[in-house]
Amino acid sequence: MAQLRGLLTYQGVEVWRHTRVLQWTLQIVSGIVVVVLVAWFFTNIATAVQDREIPHGWSFLDRAYQTPIGQHILPYESSNSFGYALIVAIVNTVVVSVVGVILATILGIVIGVARLSSNWLVSKLAMVYIEFFRNVPLLVQLFFWFYIILALPPVREGYVIGKGLFINNAGFSMPFPSAPGTGPALLWILLALVALLAGRAVYQFLLARETNTGQRSYPLLTGLATAVVIGAISWVVISLAASDSPLVISSPHPEGRFGRIEGGFTAPAGMVVLLVGLVTYTASFMAEIVRAGIQSVRRGQTEASRALGLTPMETLRYVTFPQALRVIIPPLISQFLNLTKNSSLAGAIGYADLTNVAKTMTQTAPAVSIFLLIMAAYLAMSLTYSLIGNLYNRHIRFTGG
Amino acid sequence: MAAVPQTTTSERLPPPRSEVGAYGWVRQNLFNSWFNSVLTVVSVAVIVLVLVFGLRWIIAGADWTVIGVLGGQMVIGQYNTAAACPGQNCFWRPQVSLLLVSALLGMAWAIAGGGVAKRLAIGVVVILALFALLPYSFERMGVDVRLLLVANIPAMLAGWAIAHYTRMTGRGIAIYGVATFLVTLVLLRGIPGVPWLQPVLVIYWGGITLNILLAVVGISLSLPIGIALALGRRSNLAIPLGDAIIHILRKLFKDGPLSTFEKRLENWIGEVGGSQLVAWGTWFIRLVFNLNIVKLVCVVFIEVFRGVPLITLLFMSQVLVPLAFPEDFNTNSLFRAGTIITLFSSAYMAENIRGGLQALHPGQAEAARALGLAGWQATMLISLPQAIRNVIPAIVGQFIALFKDTSLVYIIGMLDVVEISRAFIQGNAQYLGNAKELFIFLALVFWVFTYTMSYVSQRVEDHLGVGRR
Repeated sequence: MAQLRGLLTYQGVEVWRHTRVLQWTLQIVSGIVVVVLVAWFFTNIATAVQDREIPHGWSFLDRAYQTPIGQHILPYESSNSFGYALIVAIVNTVVVSVVGVILATILGIVIGVARLSSNWLVSKLAMVYIEFFRNVPLLVQLFFWFYIILALPPVREGYVIGKGLFINNAGFSMPFPSAPGTGPALLWILLALVALLAGRAVYQFLLARETNTGQRSYPLLTGLATAVVIGAISWVVISLAASDSPLVISSPHPEGRFGRIEGGFTAPAGMVVLLVGLVTYTASFMAEIVRAGIQSVRRGQTEASRALGLTPMETLRYVTFPQALRVIIPPLISQFLNLTKNSSLAGAIGYADLTNVAKTMTQTAPAVSIFLLIMAAYLAMSLTYSLIGNLYNRHIRFTGG
Repeated sequence: MAAVPQTTTSERLPPPRSEVGAYGWVRQNLFNSWFNSVLTVVSVAVIVLVLVFGLRWIIAGADWTVIGVLGGQMVIGQYNTAAACPGQNCFWRPQVSLLLVSALLGMAWAIAGGGVAKRLAIGVVVILALFALLPYSFERMGVDVRLLLVANIPAMLAGWAIAHYTRMTGRGIAIYGVATFLVTLVLLRGIPGVPWLQPVLVIYWGGITLNILLAVVGISLSLPIGIALALGRRSNLAIPLGDAIIHILRKLFKDGPLSTFEKRLENWIGEVGGSQLVAWGTWFIRLVFNLNIVKLVCVVFIEVFRGVPLITLLFMSQVLVPLAFPEDFNTNSLFRAGTIITLFSSAYMAENIRGGLQALHPGQAEAARALGLAGWQATMLISLPQAIRNVIPAIVGQFIALFKDTSLVYIIGMLDVVEISRAFIQGNAQYLGNAKELFIFLALVFWVFTYTMSYVSQRVEDHLGVGRR
């Protein structure tokens, strides 16, 4: 008996009362449970795949997809492969996500600042906006915008807002630069970037000199002038060398008897609906984040800044907002991710995003492989946003002093 | 000679007119700078435009008949159609479970003793009773339906009386709540063989009832699962396999048969480089071999469910669940939707609760342990209650998100209130132009529910002193 007790003790404590032994047992048991469960699922899937002759593996990626994709930004034909179709779908999602994130951030900041405005009316209007858009399912909002777009007139009698801006039930068209030749255009874009960098360098140099010596040298004007001059000279040189402008502005214009818009850039109706819905919805969450961030800056900062003679606008621009950014950035990144994930509702309004295309693909391609690919794609997008956000966060973080 | 200070009493002036009264308020809040004056003028212009055109459209332009035509389908979907419930009127079944819910509200009022529970209970039953006055013909909406709606008022009062006179406790109301939920499921599903309870397939369940059912399941299950996941993710109970390996290696290299090898290694890459190599090596071995299976499982689960859109998970569940389970394991779409929504929501819930636990001062748990509480007691009685109270706003935000997300079940073919409306518009081309009105109405319905949730949450936060302690 004593021997048995000796066997069942660890470090002088009975094993069923020894915390560490209990914890290890829990770990081992849960490990076994997980392994068994995963193995069971895989056996089931394997048997199902064999018995019911369900397609599996990765060979489908090279096969022709042979299904049209409604709206695509990259060129696409039905004869393209599954792999390429997935890339087309990913680009569709990424474009909506990036454009949506930029627009939603701008709108969110504007509404968040308006919510804190000393103007009672503006603040209340911002509150009504936030409370409404935040509390209604995105799907309902998307359907609302969808039927609004459907109710717009067709291309032939569509609205024309100003020169070259069209809105109708086919989408939204606007002028867009297009390149007659690829080489000159790329060269000029490269030189324009160089011009911008040069302008920035001049601006920084002159600003530093002005700060140090007090000598007035108009850094912003000089910097801008540098950039414009370099850009213009390279434009002229390239135009002369290639005997054509590197870029021309292509303006959309209605074509044909049934109405089709040629030229410019046309955002298809599904994309417009998705963007409007996502931007207005996500901006309401971002506004709350911006408001909380600005409110987290201590009152003394505003008071000190006002006492130093800065106007309310300058206080916000140079004192409050930079400090609030530290609080704002992390939750803002998670809103970027939410917007990206919410873009999967595109299927409901007929925009071919990643989830929508993948859903159609599962009818002719192995579901497990497609699920893994979708997960990898969304994960890559999430990681990219997190990376950018963290880099920016490090850039603006509180360094003391 | 010192000047004798003169004391004169001047007349007490009223405060400047620009700082008090209505005029002062307008000046300070609307016209305190030229920029704000411009903003005010623009805002007023926008409001007037929206009101003029909006009201004109609501009264004269809009055609709201589509809401009346759709009517009961928005509440219960196709539950009461001939296909779902042949030869019978099944509408009384959801209505009876509604009576049970009203009684539950009455009990909550009795236990809370007034406040927000009272307002909620009275508000809900009064609104339900008012639905009995809808201007439908008696063929469309029978006397029985109307009477059962009005009966919600006595049901609520009965619940209040029962709870009040039996001195019901929180435990009692929890048991009654679970019972109500189970009875509701049995009532809606029906029992084969019972003549007035013939089974109704879950594919016919729909409307806002489906949204509420899914939300109730998700809300009540995602909190406990989320807590478990959060605790699992924070567990630091690794099996020290890596430590054991390092221990054995040390024995072998320091004073065992391989001790000359370490000497040679240090001669080869220098003493500093050698010790650095050893440090990196031990770090790597700990990283790989110090197994924490519970934490690993929780992290993988949380990140997978947070990384993929709910809609993707829902439709993949439809494709993968029949593959991953044996063929005789039958799941219906309602069960699948409920499971996926619950798991998805608990992944987010886990992160909220983990945030609350992280924000808690470690001294709380240490003090609890010092007082002699066991590890699990310190967690359950000291850390968790404080952590949860601090993140109530985030938790309720997740509940609201969950309720909004129930509208995504359209992807697996369930006819919730949004999908049944869309399908109706799609199927009846004469109402295509009235889709705007229908979706504005739906937005209002959802808004009422979600706003009620956030209102209740604010009252609870005030009561618990969130952010003040």
